Amino acid sequence: MTSTVMESRHLWKAYEAHLVAVKDVSFRISEGEIKLIFGPSGSGKSTFLRCLAMLTTPDKGDVFLRDVCLTKPGVDLNRARARIGFVFQHIWLFRHLTVLDNVELALRRVLKLPKTEAKERALQALREVKVEEWAHHYPAQLSGGQQQRVGIARALARNPDIILLDEPTSALDPELTGEVIDTLRDLAKKGTTMLIVSHEMPFAREIADEMIFYDEGAIVETGPPEQFFTNPQSERAQKFMIRLIKKTKRE
Amino acid sequence: MLGGVSTTLAISLLSLLLGLAIGLPLAFIRAYQRSSSFLVEGFEKIFRGIPEIVLMLLFYWGIGLYFPFPFKSAFFTATFVLGLRSAANQSQIFRGAIRGIGEEQMVAARSLGFSKLRSVVHVMAPQVFIFATPGLGSEYALLVKDSAYAFVIGVLEIMYNTNVIRKATMDPVTPYLVAAFLYILLTFPIATWLDTWGSRKKKKLGL
Amino acid sequence: MSRKLTVAIVALLISLMLLLLAVYYGKFSMFGYIVKYLPLVLDGLILTIEVTLFGIFGGLALGTLLAIGDMYGGKAISTAIRLYVEFFRGSPIIIQLFIFLYVIPTLFHILIEPLTVGFAVFALNSAAYQKGYVKGAMEAVFEDQMTAGLSVGMSKPQIILYVILPQALRIVIPAWSNEFCSLTKSTAAVLVIGLRDLTAVGMTIVGQTWRILETYVFIAVLYFVWITAVTKIADVVYERKKIPGIEISV
Repeated sequence: MTSTVMESRHLWKAYEAHLVAVKDVSFRISEGEIKLIFGPSGSGKSTFLRCLAMLTTPDKGDVFLRDVCLTKPGVDLNRARARIGFVFQHIWLFRHLTVLDNVELALRRVLKLPKTEAKERALQALREVKVEEWAHHYPAQLSGGQQQRVGIARALARNPDIILLDEPTSALDPELTGEVIDTLRDLAKKGTTMLIVSHEMPFAREIADEMIFYDEGAIVETGPPEQFFTNPQSERAQKFMIRLIKKTKRE
Repeated sequence: MLGGVSTTLAISLLSLLLGLAIGLPLAFIRAYQRSSSFLVEGFEKIFRGIPEIVLMLLFYWGIGLYFPFPFKSAFFTATFVLGLRSAANQSQIFRGAIRGIGEEQMVAARSLGFSKLRSVVHVMAPQVFIFATPGLGSEYALLVKDSAYAFVIGVLEIMYNTNVIRKATMDPVTPYLVAAFLYILLTFPIATWLDTWGSRKKKKLGL
Repeated sequence: MSRKLTVAIVALLISLMLLLLAVYYGKFSMFGYIVKYLPLVLDGLILTIEVTLFGIFGGLALGTLLAIGDMYGGKAISTAIRLYVEFFRGSPIIIQLFIFLYVIPTLFHILIEPLTVGFAVFALNSAAYQKGYVKGAMEAVFEDQMTAGLSVGMSKPQIILYVILPQALRIVIPAWSNEFCSLTKSTAAVLVIGLRDLTAVGMTIVGQTWRILETYVFIAVLYFVWITAVTKIADVVYERKKIPGIEISV
């Protein structure tokens, strides 16, 4: 019986009276699953993802990490976040640290690992994403794709229960997205539980167990990838897929 | 006390103007005349690298001995020294503004046939002014505060009068607090206003 | 840049040495008289340097605390800090010196020595300016680095200490060397509260020898050399410690 890794129950988050990013969203993802959220920009997908990691505090509703309720007052959010890996659209590596230190920092300060063990695990993570030779360089010296891979390593290093990725390739030049996608594919093969917000449709089709169409703050439709590419159930999903296909045809 | 205020204001404003008159051309010289730029750099280094008090003492007591004509007056000396110091600062401020505005304006002007001088006067200078307004605001505040140094050479401005009053009334508390308040009154509103006016104007012009 | 720098430093040192030599041998008979006052000058210079260093580093420490307090302390603390900053930035340093010498002791019935006044005022004054620089630098890096730090599970204090401050302090360096210049120049003001700094020593020498112009020129040159040398050193340090990716926007 696969256990639920993360769950949201009736989650709400609004920015102003009329800007509701998360509207009563209930959602669940289980061990080993890979789910992909897609939809029009500004629909609130990123906000939802952040709420799950409690990087943004939801207004109403609950978030669960395994059996721990993160929205209860008094919960140690830092420890919880240590079990969640997050990859950002704009990467946000720690500029003042080398690549190796970037990955090591949380291992030493959060998990309180001794220096040698932290270094070994960090190098291991860098090896997995194939940027080991840049370990002693600074982020600014790497290309966007390499930086994002370091970002993934940073998220991986703590062996989190789940990895949340917020449009990991959207800020990259097209030639650089490939290396990031390859990395994610490797992770998928290893059975990592992942929740990705992305527009990379071919990739989604290939590795996602389930795709979720998110629009105007709510989950509109869910289903296996094939459903969206051949026969979307909802009208809004249909419209979106048509526009997307038109766009890719043009490119 | 209030008599001192007018003197303080006079020193500040006059030195600001002097600084402007010298600093603005210097900034342009340093930006566009590579040959003379090291002279300007030297001037800046000297007048920003020596304490104002020392300069005032130097000019008033030292040079004043040989050139009593202008330097006999403490007021003149103080204004003169602060003016040159301000020129050095303003040269820096305007250079930043010139860099901020970018080359294109100058190039565009030259392409229309303006000489270096006229491009500067008609195209760059107006923009530089607006861009530099916040910097000028803080320079003004700085001058108001540094005018207090003039009391060391005997200028009858706020600081000097404050001490006189303290000696006269044997009250060590009130005069200084009042003086502090006066200075803050003189610096704060105008500096803030210039700052806001400056940033709004900048936004409007897309600088 | 580094070549020009080396040339500048060497030129500076050479001219300083020549000056001292000339003075020592009385070649500039103008300046020869200073020789017997050199110990006094040295004392004055040391005092000036002491006040400056205490002021700038004290100001950095306090300023950083103020910046952090302003960002995280809540309304009351922020307002208090605002008042503090406005006072120290809006009034001349001479007034501040007098206030600490006369007003505060009178109001609180305590005795403060002039030397303590000097150290305290310059540190407090500098902190008011440095708080602005540090806060600006922190805000420049703040938002995204804070979120990134949270995402790996670090607590806010940890993030500030290990992520935000290291970056902010590097950004601050150019403004910092500017502050150093300002501070050194304003230390001359301590003569009004009776401290025997370099400028006060100059006045003493003038009083005794009536060699007005020469003395003040000499003092001015000393200040000039000191300030220029330290500024150049700060530039060098900045170049060395620079990390690609963390630059200031000029």
